Amino acid sequence: MRIIVALKPTYDVSQLKFDSEGVPLLDTCPVTLGEADKCALEEALKVKESLGATVVAVTVGQSEAHIKGIKDALAMGADEGYIIKIKNAWNISSITVANAIARFAVVTGPYDIVFTGSGAGDTHSSIIGPMVSALLGYRLVANADKVEVKEQKAKAKCTMEDGTYNYEVQFPAVITVTSEANEPRIPTLKAILRSKNMQVKEIGPEQLDLSVEEYKDIKVIKHMVERKRVIMEASDQKSAEESVIKLLTFLKDEGVI
Amino acid sequence: MFLPGRELAEKVSGLYGEIYYSDLGPFDPLAYVSALYEVASSFSADIAVFPCTGKGRVLAGLFSAKNSRSTATDVYRVESKENSLVVRRLVYGGKAEANLELNLPATLCLLQGSYAEAEANLTSRINEVSKQNQSCRVEFIPKKVEGIEPDKAEVVVVGGRGIKTKEDLKMIMELAGLLKGAWSVTRPLAVDEGWSETWIGITGLTVSPKLYIGIGVSGQPHHMMGARSSKIVVAINSDRNAPIFEECDYGIVGDLYVVVPEMIKRLKNVK
Repeated sequence: MRIIVALKPTYDVSQLKFDSEGVPLLDTCPVTLGEADKCALEEALKVKESLGATVVAVTVGQSEAHIKGIKDALAMGADEGYIIKIKNAWNISSITVANAIARFAVVTGPYDIVFTGSGAGDTHSSIIGPMVSALLGYRLVANADKVEVKEQKAKAKCTMEDGTYNYEVQFPAVITVTSEANEPRIPTLKAILRSKNMQVKEIGPEQLDLSVEEYKDIKVIKHMVERKRVIMEASDQKSAEESVIKLLTFLKDEGVI
Repeated sequence: MFLPGRELAEKVSGLYGEIYYSDLGPFDPLAYVSALYEVASSFSADIAVFPCTGKGRVLAGLFSAKNSRSTATDVYRVESKENSLVVRRLVYGGKAEANLELNLPATLCLLQGSYAEAEANLTSRINEVSKQNQSCRVEFIPKKVEGIEPDKAEVVVVGGRGIKTKEDLKMIMELAGLLKGAWSVTRPLAVDEGWSETWIGITGLTVSPKLYIGIGVSGQPHHMMGARSSKIVVAINSDRNAPIFEECDYGIVGDLYVVVPEMIKRLKNVK
Protein backbone atom coordinates (compact mmCIF):
# COMPACT_ATOMS: atom_id res chain seq x y z
CA MET A 1 0.00 0.00 0.00
CA ARG A 2 1.22 3.52 -0.76
CA ILE A 3 0.22 6.41 1.45
CA ILE A 4 0.76 10.17 1.30
CA VAL A 5 0.61 12.24 4.46
CA ALA A 6 0.18 15.94 3.71
CA LEU A 7 1.55 18.09 6.54
CA LYS A 8 1.65 21.78 7.37
CA PRO A 9 3.88 23.42 9.96
CA THR A 10 1.83 26.09 11.74
CA TYR A 11 2.23 28.79 14.33
CA ASP A 12 1.37 27.66 17.84
CA VAL A 13 -1.52 30.12 18.19
CA SER A 14 -1.84 29.63 21.94
CA GLN A 15 1.58 31.31 22.24
CA LEU A 16 0.94 34.07 19.69
CA LYS A 17 1.48 37.64 20.94
CA PHE A 18 0.82 41.03 19.34
CA ASP A 19 2.61 44.37 19.47
CA SER A 20 0.90 47.56 20.63
CA GLU A 21 -0.41 48.21 17.09
CA GLY A 22 -2.04 44.78 17.00
CA VAL A 23 0.49 43.30 14.57
CA PRO A 24 1.11 39.58 15.28
CA LEU A 25 4.66 38.85 16.47
CA LEU A 26 5.14 35.85 14.21
CA ASP A 27 8.95 35.85 14.46
CA THR A 28 8.82 34.96 18.13
CA CYS A 29 5.96 32.46 17.83
CA PRO A 30 6.98 28.79 17.80
CA VAL A 31 6.16 26.82 14.62
CA THR A 32 5.43 23.10 14.73
CA LEU A 33 3.46 20.49 12.81
CA GLY A 34 -0.23 20.85 13.59
CA GLU A 35 -1.70 18.44 16.14
CA ALA A 36 -4.20 16.93 13.67
CA ASP A 37 -1.47 16.53 11.04
CA LYS A 38 0.62 14.53 13.49
CA CYS A 39 -2.40 12.32 14.16
CA ALA A 40 -2.79 11.83 10.38
CA LEU A 41 0.84 10.69 10.20
CA GLU A 42 0.31 8.37 13.16
CA GLU A 43 -2.63 6.71 11.35
CA ALA A 44 -0.41 6.16 8.29
CA LEU A 45 2.34 4.64 10.45
CA LYS A 46 -0.21 2.33 12.08
CA VAL A 47 -1.16 1.07 8.60
CA LYS A 48 2.52 0.61 7.76
CA GLU A 49 2.93 -1.57 10.86
CA SER A 50 -0.25 -3.62 10.48
CA LEU A 51 -0.56 -4.11 6.70
CA GLY A 52 2.74 -2.88 5.31
CA ALA A 53 2.90 0.44 3.47
CA THR A 54 5.23 3.05 2.09
CA VAL A 55 4.53 6.34 3.84
CA VAL A 56 5.47 9.51 1.97
CA ALA A 57 5.34 12.78 3.93
CA VAL A 58 4.94 16.00 1.95
CA THR A 59 4.55 19.69 2.76
CA VAL A 60 4.02 22.78 0.60
CA GLY A 61 6.70 25.38 1.33
CA GLN A 62 10.45 25.68 1.59
CA SER A 63 11.13 27.55 4.85
CA GLU A 64 13.20 26.15 7.70
CA ALA A 65 9.95 25.23 9.46
CA HIS A 66 8.82 23.19 6.46
CA ILE A 67 12.12 21.29 6.28
CA LYS A 68 12.01 20.72 10.04
CA GLY A 69 8.41 19.45 9.78
CA ILE A 70 9.41 16.83 7.21
CA LYS A 71 12.45 15.83 9.30
CA ASP A 72 10.12 15.34 12.27
CA ALA A 73 7.88 13.15 10.10
CA LEU A 74 10.89 11.06 9.02
CA ALA A 75 11.91 10.70 12.67
CA MET A 76 8.41 9.48 13.53
CA GLY A 77 8.71 6.81 10.84
CA ALA A 78 7.80 8.14 7.38
CA ASP A 79 9.76 6.38 4.60
CA GLU A 80 10.23 9.38 2.35
CA GLY A 81 9.88 13.12 2.85
CA TYR A 82 9.34 15.90 0.31
CA ILE A 83 9.04 19.65 0.33
CA ILE A 84 7.26 21.27 -2.58
CA LYS A 85 9.39 24.37 -3.15
CA ILE A 86 7.08 27.37 -3.10
CA LYS A 87 8.14 30.72 -1.72
CA ASN A 88 5.89 32.63 0.69
CA ALA A 89 3.98 29.46 1.42
CA TRP A 90 2.03 31.25 4.20
CA ASN A 91 0.44 33.56 1.62
CA ILE A 92 -0.63 31.20 -1.14
CA SER A 93 -4.26 30.33 -1.75
CA SER A 94 -5.76 27.07 -0.47
CA ILE A 95 -6.48 25.92 -4.02
CA THR A 96 -2.75 26.29 -4.82
CA VAL A 97 -1.87 24.12 -1.80
CA ALA A 98 -4.47 21.51 -2.78
CA ASN A 99 -3.30 21.53 -6.40
CA ALA A 100 0.31 21.09 -5.29
CA ILE A 101 -0.56 18.02 -3.20
CA ALA A 102 -2.83 16.55 -5.88
CA ARG A 103 -0.23 17.06 -8.64
CA PHE A 104 2.43 15.58 -6.36
CA ALA A 105 0.22 12.52 -5.87
CA VAL A 106 -0.18 12.13 -9.63
CA VAL A 107 3.53 12.58 -10.39
CA THR A 108 4.87 10.30 -7.63
CA GLY A 109 1.84 7.98 -7.38
CA PRO A 110 -0.32 5.99 -7.60
CA TYR A 111 -1.42 6.02 -3.96
CA ASP A 112 -4.13 4.24 -2.01
CA ILE A 113 -4.64 6.80 0.74
CA VAL A 114 -3.93 10.49 1.28
CA PHE A 115 -4.02 11.24 4.99
CA THR A 116 -4.04 14.80 6.28
CA GLY A 117 -5.10 16.67 9.41
CA SER A 118 -8.76 17.72 9.56
CA GLY A 119 -7.60 21.30 10.02
CA ALA A 120 -4.33 23.19 10.29
CA GLY A 121 -3.33 24.59 13.66
CA ASP A 122 -3.41 28.22 12.51
CA THR A 123 -6.19 28.80 9.98
CA HIS A 124 -8.22 25.66 10.60
CA SER A 125 -10.07 26.03 7.30
CA SER A 126 -10.49 22.25 6.95
CA ILE A 127 -10.82 22.50 3.17
CA ILE A 128 -7.50 21.16 1.84
CA GLY A 129 -8.42 17.46 2.25
CA PRO A 130 -11.79 17.86 0.46
CA MET A 131 -10.13 19.90 -2.30
CA VAL A 132 -7.47 17.23 -2.86
CA SER A 133 -10.22 14.59 -3.00
CA ALA A 134 -12.09 16.54 -5.70
CA LEU A 135 -8.91 17.20 -7.71
CA LEU A 136 -7.78 13.57 -7.67
CA GLY A 137 -11.25 12.05 -7.93
CA TYR A 138 -10.55 10.05 -4.75
CA ARG A 139 -13.30 9.22 -2.26
CA LEU A 140 -13.41 11.30 0.89
CA VAL A 141 -13.78 10.76 4.62
CA ALA A 142 -13.55 14.02 6.57
CA ASN A 143 -12.97 14.65 10.28
CA ALA A 144 -12.26 11.06 11.31
CA ASP A 145 -11.98 10.55 15.08
CA LYS A 146 -11.26 6.85 14.59
CA VAL A 147 -9.83 5.07 11.57
CA GLU A 148 -9.53 1.36 10.79
CA VAL A 149 -7.73 0.49 7.56
CA LYS A 150 -8.12 -2.87 5.82
CA GLU A 151 -6.61 -4.09 2.52
CA GLN A 152 -8.94 -2.35 0.11
CA LYS A 153 -11.07 -0.12 2.30
CA ALA A 154 -11.22 1.92 5.48
CA LYS A 155 -13.81 2.34 8.17
CA ALA A 156 -13.98 5.65 10.01
CA LYS A 157 -16.02 7.29 12.72
CA CYS A 158 -16.58 11.00 12.19
CA THR A 159 -18.23 13.50 14.49
CA MET A 160 -20.11 16.30 12.76
CA GLU A 161 -22.37 19.03 14.10
CA ASP A 162 -25.49 16.84 13.98
CA GLY A 163 -24.10 13.53 15.18
CA THR A 164 -21.78 10.65 14.43
CA TYR A 165 -21.21 9.16 10.99
CA ASN A 166 -19.69 5.72 10.47
CA TYR A 167 -18.25 5.47 6.97
CA GLU A 168 -16.84 2.66 4.94
CA VAL A 169 -14.95 3.70 1.78
CA GLN A 170 -13.00 1.94 -0.91
CA PHE A 171 -9.55 3.17 -1.92
CA PRO A 172 -8.19 5.41 -3.30
CA ALA A 173 -9.42 7.81 -0.64
CA VAL A 174 -8.52 11.02 1.12
CA ILE A 175 -8.98 10.69 4.88
CA THR A 176 -8.76 13.75 7.11
CA VAL A 177 -8.01 12.97 10.74
CA THR A 178 -8.85 14.99 13.86
CA SER A 179 -6.56 15.50 16.82
CA GLU A 180 -8.81 13.13 18.79
CA ALA A 181 -7.93 10.14 16.61
CA ASN A 182 -4.83 8.94 18.47
CA GLU A 183 -1.78 9.88 20.51
CA PRO A 184 0.98 10.55 17.98
CA ARG A 185 4.19 8.70 18.85
CA ILE A 186 7.21 10.56 20.14
CA PRO A 187 10.28 9.52 18.14
CA THR A 188 13.02 7.72 20.01
CA LEU A 189 16.51 9.20 20.10
CA LYS A 190 17.63 6.37 17.81
CA ALA A 191 14.91 7.24 15.29
CA ILE A 192 15.85 10.91 15.39
CA LEU A 193 19.51 10.08 14.72
CA ARG A 194 18.56 7.71 11.91
CA SER A 195 16.33 10.34 10.30
CA LYS A 196 19.23 12.82 10.30
CA ASN A 197 20.78 10.80 7.48
CA MET A 198 17.55 10.68 5.51
CA GLN A 199 17.13 13.11 2.68
CA VAL A 200 14.39 15.74 2.55
CA LYS A 201 13.67 15.62 -1.18
CA GLU A 202 12.74 18.75 -3.09
CA ILE A 203 10.29 19.12 -5.92
CA GLY A 204 9.65 22.39 -7.75
CA PRO A 205 6.33 23.80 -8.96
CA GLU A 206 7.53 23.46 -12.57
CA GLN A 207 7.98 19.69 -12.08
CA LEU A 208 4.35 19.56 -11.01
CA ASP A 209 3.11 21.89 -13.74
CA LEU A 210 1.70 24.09 -11.00
CA SER A 211 0.63 27.72 -11.21
CA VAL A 212 0.95 29.52 -7.90
CA GLU A 213 -1.73 31.95 -6.78
CA GLU A 214 -0.41 34.26 -4.10
CA TYR A 215 -2.59 36.62 -2.07
CA LYS A 216 -1.37 40.19 -2.35
CA ASP A 217 -1.51 42.62 0.56
CA ILE A 218 -2.98 40.35 3.19
CA LYS A 219 -3.38 42.46 6.28
CA VAL A 220 -3.41 40.50 9.52
CA ILE A 221 -4.10 42.30 12.78
CA LYS A 222 -5.30 41.38 16.24
CA HIS A 223 -9.02 40.64 16.26
CA MET A 224 -10.50 43.01 18.80
CA VAL A 225 -13.97 42.43 20.13
CA GLU A 226 -15.20 45.37 22.12
CA ARG A 227 -15.73 44.00 25.60
CA LYS A 228 -16.41 45.90 28.81
CA ARG A 229 -14.00 43.89 30.97
CA VAL A 230 -15.62 44.67 34.30
CA ILE A 231 -13.75 42.34 36.66
CA MET A 232 -15.01 41.64 40.18
CA GLU A 233 -13.30 39.79 43.01
CA ALA A 234 -14.66 36.87 44.98
CA SER A 235 -11.88 35.92 47.36
CA ASP A 236 -14.22 34.80 50.16
CA GLN A 237 -17.92 34.04 50.75
CA LYS A 238 -18.81 37.67 51.44
CA SER A 239 -17.12 39.14 48.37
CA ALA A 240 -18.57 36.27 46.29
CA GLU A 241 -22.09 37.26 47.42
CA GLU A 242 -21.45 40.90 46.59
CA SER A 243 -19.95 40.11 43.19
CA VAL A 244 -22.84 37.80 42.27
CA ILE A 245 -25.41 40.49 43.19
CA LYS A 246 -23.51 43.03 41.08
CA LEU A 247 -23.18 40.60 38.18
CA LEU A 248 -26.89 39.76 38.14
CA THR A 249 -27.75 43.48 38.23
CA PHE A 250 -25.43 44.14 35.27
CA LEU A 251 -26.97 41.28 33.30
CA LYS A 252 -30.52 42.54 34.01
CA ASP A 253 -29.51 46.04 32.86
CA GLU A 254 -28.09 44.53 29.68
CA GLY A 255 -31.44 42.83 29.13
CA VAL A 256 -29.91 39.38 28.76
CA ILE A 257 -31.56 37.70 31.78
CA MET B 1 -30.40 27.77 -2.27
CA PHE B 2 -29.66 24.06 -2.13
CA LEU B 3 -30.79 21.75 0.66
CA PRO B 4 -30.41 17.99 1.10
CA GLY B 5 -34.10 17.14 1.47
CA ARG B 6 -37.60 18.28 0.49
CA GLU B 7 -38.65 19.04 4.07
CA LEU B 8 -35.66 21.32 4.60
CA ALA B 9 -36.34 23.07 1.31
CA GLU B 10 -39.94 23.80 2.29
CA LYS B 11 -38.79 25.36 5.55
CA VAL B 12 -36.95 28.16 3.73
CA SER B 13 -39.70 28.78 1.20
CA GLY B 14 -40.18 32.55 0.81
CA LEU B 15 -36.55 33.38 1.59
CA TYR B 16 -35.12 32.42 -1.81
CA GLY B 17 -36.40 32.71 -5.36
CA GLU B 18 -35.02 29.37 -6.50
CA ILE B 19 -34.71 26.50 -4.07
CA TYR B 20 -33.18 23.16 -5.03
CA TYR B 21 -33.24 19.96 -3.05
CA SER B 22 -32.30 16.35 -3.40
CA ASP B 23 -33.30 13.59 -0.99
CA LEU B 24 -29.76 12.58 -0.27
CA GLY B 25 -29.95 10.80 3.07
CA PRO B 26 -27.09 10.90 5.59
CA PHE B 27 -24.03 12.98 4.71
CA ASP B 28 -22.07 11.38 1.87
CA PRO B 29 -19.71 14.20 0.81
CA LEU B 30 -19.30 13.18 -2.83
CA ALA B 31 -23.00 12.48 -3.41
CA TYR B 32 -23.90 15.85 -1.86
CA VAL B 33 -21.39 17.77 -3.91
CA SER B 34 -22.37 16.10 -7.17
CA ALA B 35 -25.93 17.31 -6.57
CA LEU B 36 -24.47 20.77 -6.00
CA TYR B 37 -22.47 20.58 -9.25
CA GLU B 38 -25.69 19.75 -11.02
CA VAL B 39 -27.43 22.82 -9.57
CA ALA B 40 -24.43 25.07 -10.31
CA SER B 41 -24.15 23.85 -13.89
CA SER B 42 -27.57 25.34 -14.67
CA PHE B 43 -26.37 28.89 -14.00
CA SER B 44 -23.00 30.53 -13.37
CA ALA B 45 -22.77 31.53 -9.73
CA ASP B 46 -20.17 34.18 -8.95
CA ILE B 47 -20.34 33.52 -5.25
CA ALA B 48 -21.05 30.24 -3.46
CA VAL B 49 -21.76 30.49 0.26
CA PHE B 50 -21.59 27.64 2.76
CA PRO B 51 -22.05 27.63 6.53
CA CYS B 52 -18.87 27.47 8.60
CA THR B 53 -19.72 24.03 10.01
CA GLY B 54 -17.98 20.67 9.68
CA LYS B 55 -20.10 19.66 6.70
CA GLY B 56 -20.14 23.18 5.22
CA ARG B 57 -16.33 23.29 5.10
CA VAL B 58 -16.13 19.84 3.49
CA LEU B 59 -18.61 20.79 0.77
CA ALA B 60 -16.97 24.19 0.20
CA GLY B 61 -13.62 22.47 -0.37
CA LEU B 62 -15.03 19.85 -2.73
CA PHE B 63 -17.17 22.33 -4.62
CA SER B 64 -14.55 25.01 -5.14
CA ALA B 65 -11.74 22.65 -6.20
CA LYS B 66 -13.84 21.43 -9.11
CA ASN B 67 -13.74 24.81 -10.85
CA SER B 68 -10.74 26.36 -9.12
CA ARG B 69 -12.65 28.95 -7.14
CA SER B 70 -10.90 31.28 -4.70
CA THR B 71 -12.01 30.19 -1.26
CA ALA B 72 -12.03 31.61 2.25
CA THR B 73 -13.49 30.13 5.42
CA ASP B 74 -14.28 31.74 8.79
CA VAL B 75 -15.50 34.85 6.98
CA TYR B 76 -17.52 37.42 8.89
CA ARG B 77 -17.53 40.48 6.60
CA VAL B 78 -17.84 40.69 2.84
CA GLU B 79 -17.49 43.71 0.60
CA SER B 80 -18.08 43.34 -3.08
CA LYS B 81 -15.99 44.96 -5.83
CA GLU B 82 -16.41 44.72 -9.58
CA ASN B 83 -14.50 41.47 -10.17
CA SER B 84 -13.58 40.50 -6.66
CA LEU B 85 -14.66 40.26 -3.05
CA VAL B 86 -12.82 41.79 -0.12
CA VAL B 87 -13.43 39.53 2.85
CA ARG B 88 -12.48 39.68 6.47
CA ARG B 89 -11.84 36.31 8.08
CA LEU B 90 -10.62 35.05 11.45
CA VAL B 91 -7.21 33.36 11.60
CA TYR B 92 -4.88 32.04 14.32
CA GLY B 93 -7.71 30.50 16.30
CA GLY B 94 -9.71 33.71 16.15
CA LYS B 95 -6.98 35.78 17.79
CA ALA B 96 -6.36 37.71 14.58
CA GLU B 97 -8.28 38.79 11.51
CA ALA B 98 -7.08 38.87 7.92
CA ASN B 99 -8.31 41.05 5.09
CA LEU B 100 -8.02 39.42 1.72
CA GLU B 101 -9.21 39.94 -1.80
CA LEU B 102 -10.70 36.98 -3.64
CA ASN B 103 -11.15 36.91 -7.40
CA LEU B 104 -14.54 35.82 -8.68
CA PRO B 105 -15.87 33.17 -8.86
CA ALA B 106 -15.38 32.66 -5.13
CA THR B 107 -16.51 30.32 -2.37
CA LEU B 108 -17.08 31.50 1.19
CA CYS B 109 -17.77 29.77 4.48
CA LEU B 110 -19.64 32.32 6.54
CA LEU B 111 -19.42 32.29 10.34
CA GLN B 112 -22.68 31.85 12.15
CA GLY B 113 -23.91 35.11 13.67
CA SER B 114 -21.94 37.36 11.26
CA TYR B 115 -25.10 38.66 9.67
CA ALA B 116 -28.68 38.90 10.85
CA GLU B 117 -30.97 36.17 9.60
CA ALA B 118 -32.63 37.07 6.33
CA GLU B 119 -36.28 38.02 6.22
CA ALA B 120 -38.06 38.00 2.91
CA ASN B 121 -41.36 37.12 1.37
CA LEU B 122 -40.46 35.88 -2.10
CA THR B 123 -42.31 33.59 -4.39
CA SER B 124 -40.17 30.46 -4.25
CA ARG B 125 -39.79 27.81 -6.88
CA ILE B 126 -38.82 24.48 -5.39
CA ASN B 127 -36.91 22.25 -7.82
CA GLU B 128 -35.86 18.66 -7.33
CA VAL B 129 -32.36 17.49 -8.25
CA SER B 130 -32.10 13.77 -8.97
CA LYS B 131 -30.62 11.48 -6.35
CA GLN B 132 -26.87 10.95 -6.74
CA ASN B 133 -24.75 7.78 -6.56
CA GLN B 134 -23.45 6.93 -3.10
CA SER B 135 -19.65 7.09 -2.78
CA CYS B 136 -19.46 5.14 0.46
CA ARG B 137 -21.45 3.26 3.07
CA VAL B 138 -22.83 5.57 5.74
CA GLU B 139 -24.39 4.86 9.09
CA PHE B 140 -25.66 7.94 10.92
CA ILE B 141 -26.27 8.23 14.65
CA PRO B 142 -27.93 11.59 15.42
CA LYS B 143 -26.61 13.29 18.53
CA LYS B 144 -28.78 13.14 21.61
CA VAL B 145 -29.92 16.55 22.65
CA GLU B 146 -30.48 17.00 26.35
CA GLY B 147 -32.55 20.13 26.84
CA ILE B 148 -32.09 23.12 24.56
CA GLU B 149 -29.48 22.93 21.79
CA PRO B 150 -26.62 25.36 22.54
CA ASP B 151 -26.49 26.75 19.00
CA LYS B 152 -30.17 27.68 19.20
CA ALA B 153 -30.23 29.06 22.76
CA GLU B 154 -30.25 32.69 23.91
CA VAL B 155 -28.21 31.83 27.00
CA VAL B 156 -25.34 29.33 26.99
CA VAL B 157 -23.57 28.22 30.17
CA VAL B 158 -20.27 26.45 29.51
CA GLY B 159 -18.18 24.37 31.89
CA GLY B 160 -14.42 24.18 31.39
CA ARG B 161 -11.44 22.44 32.96
CA GLY B 162 -12.14 24.10 36.30
CA ILE B 163 -15.02 21.63 36.76
CA LYS B 164 -13.59 18.73 38.73
CA THR B 165 -16.10 15.88 38.28
CA LYS B 166 -18.95 14.89 36.01
CA GLU B 167 -21.26 15.18 39.01
CA ASP B 168 -20.32 18.88 39.30
CA LEU B 169 -21.67 19.48 35.78
CA LYS B 170 -25.15 19.33 37.36
CA MET B 171 -24.41 22.76 38.76
CA ILE B 172 -23.82 24.05 35.21
CA MET B 173 -27.03 22.42 34.03
CA GLU B 174 -28.99 23.88 36.95
CA LEU B 175 -27.71 27.38 36.26
CA ALA B 176 -28.52 26.98 32.54
CA GLY B 177 -32.01 25.79 33.46
CA LEU B 178 -32.65 28.79 35.73
CA LEU B 179 -31.59 31.13 32.91
CA LYS B 180 -33.77 29.19 30.41
CA GLY B 181 -30.66 28.44 28.42
CA ALA B 182 -28.51 25.57 27.24
CA TRP B 183 -25.37 24.10 28.77
CA SER B 184 -22.24 22.85 27.10
CA VAL B 185 -18.57 22.21 27.79
CA THR B 186 -15.12 22.84 26.33
CA ARG B 187 -13.43 20.20 24.22
CA PRO B 188 -11.33 18.50 26.93
CA LEU B 189 -14.46 17.78 28.99
CA ALA B 190 -16.22 16.27 25.98
CA VAL B 191 -13.37 14.45 24.27
CA ASP B 192 -10.92 13.57 27.04
CA GLU B 193 -13.44 13.06 29.85
CA GLY B 194 -16.42 11.99 27.74
CA TRP B 195 -18.86 14.04 29.81
CA SER B 196 -20.76 15.43 26.81
CA GLU B 197 -21.30 14.50 23.17
CA THR B 198 -20.76 18.04 21.92
CA TRP B 199 -18.63 20.99 22.85
CA ILE B 200 -18.20 24.65 21.94
CA GLY B 201 -15.19 25.55 19.82
CA ILE B 202 -13.59 25.49 16.43
CA THR B 203 -13.98 21.72 16.02
CA GLY B 204 -17.36 21.64 17.73
CA LEU B 205 -20.33 23.98 17.88
CA THR B 206 -20.32 27.70 17.18
CA VAL B 207 -22.77 29.66 19.31
CA SER B 208 -23.91 33.27 19.20
CA PRO B 209 -26.24 33.70 22.18
CA LYS B 210 -27.22 36.92 23.93
CA LEU B 211 -25.40 35.68 27.02
CA TYR B 212 -22.44 33.33 27.27
CA ILE B 213 -21.21 32.31 30.75
CA GLY B 214 -17.86 30.50 30.89
CA ILE B 215 -17.35 28.68 34.19
CA GLY B 216 -13.86 27.41 34.86
CA VAL B 217 -13.14 28.14 31.19
CA SER B 218 -9.64 29.51 30.59
CA GLY B 219 -10.46 30.96 27.16
CA GLN B 220 -8.11 29.13 24.78
CA PRO B 221 -8.42 30.52 21.23
CA HIS B 222 -9.88 27.30 19.80
CA HIS B 223 -12.72 27.46 22.29
CA MET B 224 -13.36 31.21 22.10
CA MET B 225 -13.58 30.96 18.31
CA GLY B 226 -16.87 29.12 18.86
CA ALA B 227 -18.26 31.70 21.28
CA ARG B 228 -16.83 34.99 20.08
CA SER B 229 -19.98 36.35 18.50
CA SER B 230 -21.90 36.13 21.80
CA LYS B 231 -23.43 39.48 22.75
CA ILE B 232 -22.37 39.45 26.41
CA VAL B 233 -19.54 37.26 27.71
CA VAL B 234 -19.29 36.44 31.42
CA ALA B 235 -16.29 34.63 32.92
CA ILE B 236 -15.98 32.92 36.29
CA ASN B 237 -12.50 31.60 36.96
CA SER B 238 -10.09 31.41 39.88
CA ASP B 239 -7.09 32.27 37.71
CA ARG B 240 -6.84 36.01 37.32
CA ASN B 241 -4.49 35.58 34.35
CA ALA B 242 -6.84 33.33 32.36
CA PRO B 243 -7.12 34.73 28.81
CA ILE B 244 -10.94 34.76 29.03
CA PHE B 245 -10.77 37.81 31.34
CA GLU B 246 -9.23 39.72 28.40
CA GLU B 247 -12.33 39.20 26.33
CA CYS B 248 -15.24 39.16 28.73
CA ASP B 249 -17.78 41.86 29.57
CA TYR B 250 -18.14 40.81 33.19
CA GLY B 251 -15.78 38.60 35.11
CA ILE B 252 -15.62 37.21 38.62
CA VAL B 253 -12.20 36.10 39.83
CA GLY B 254 -12.97 33.43 42.38
CA ASP B 255 -13.69 29.81 43.18
CA LEU B 256 -16.46 28.59 40.90
CA TYR B 257 -17.58 26.21 43.66
CA VAL B 258 -18.45 29.26 45.76
CA VAL B 259 -19.61 31.66 43.04
CA VAL B 260 -21.90 29.35 41.04
CA PRO B 261 -23.93 28.04 44.02
CA GLU B 262 -24.34 31.67 45.09
CA MET B 263 -25.67 32.56 41.63
CA ILE B 264 -28.06 29.62 41.71
CA LYS B 265 -29.29 30.65 45.18
CA ARG B 266 -29.92 34.27 44.10
CA LEU B 267 -31.69 33.27 40.89
CA LYS B 268 -33.94 30.85 42.80
CA ASN B 269 -34.83 33.56 45.32
CA VAL B 270 -35.92 35.89 42.54
CA LYS B 271 -38.40 33.34 41.25
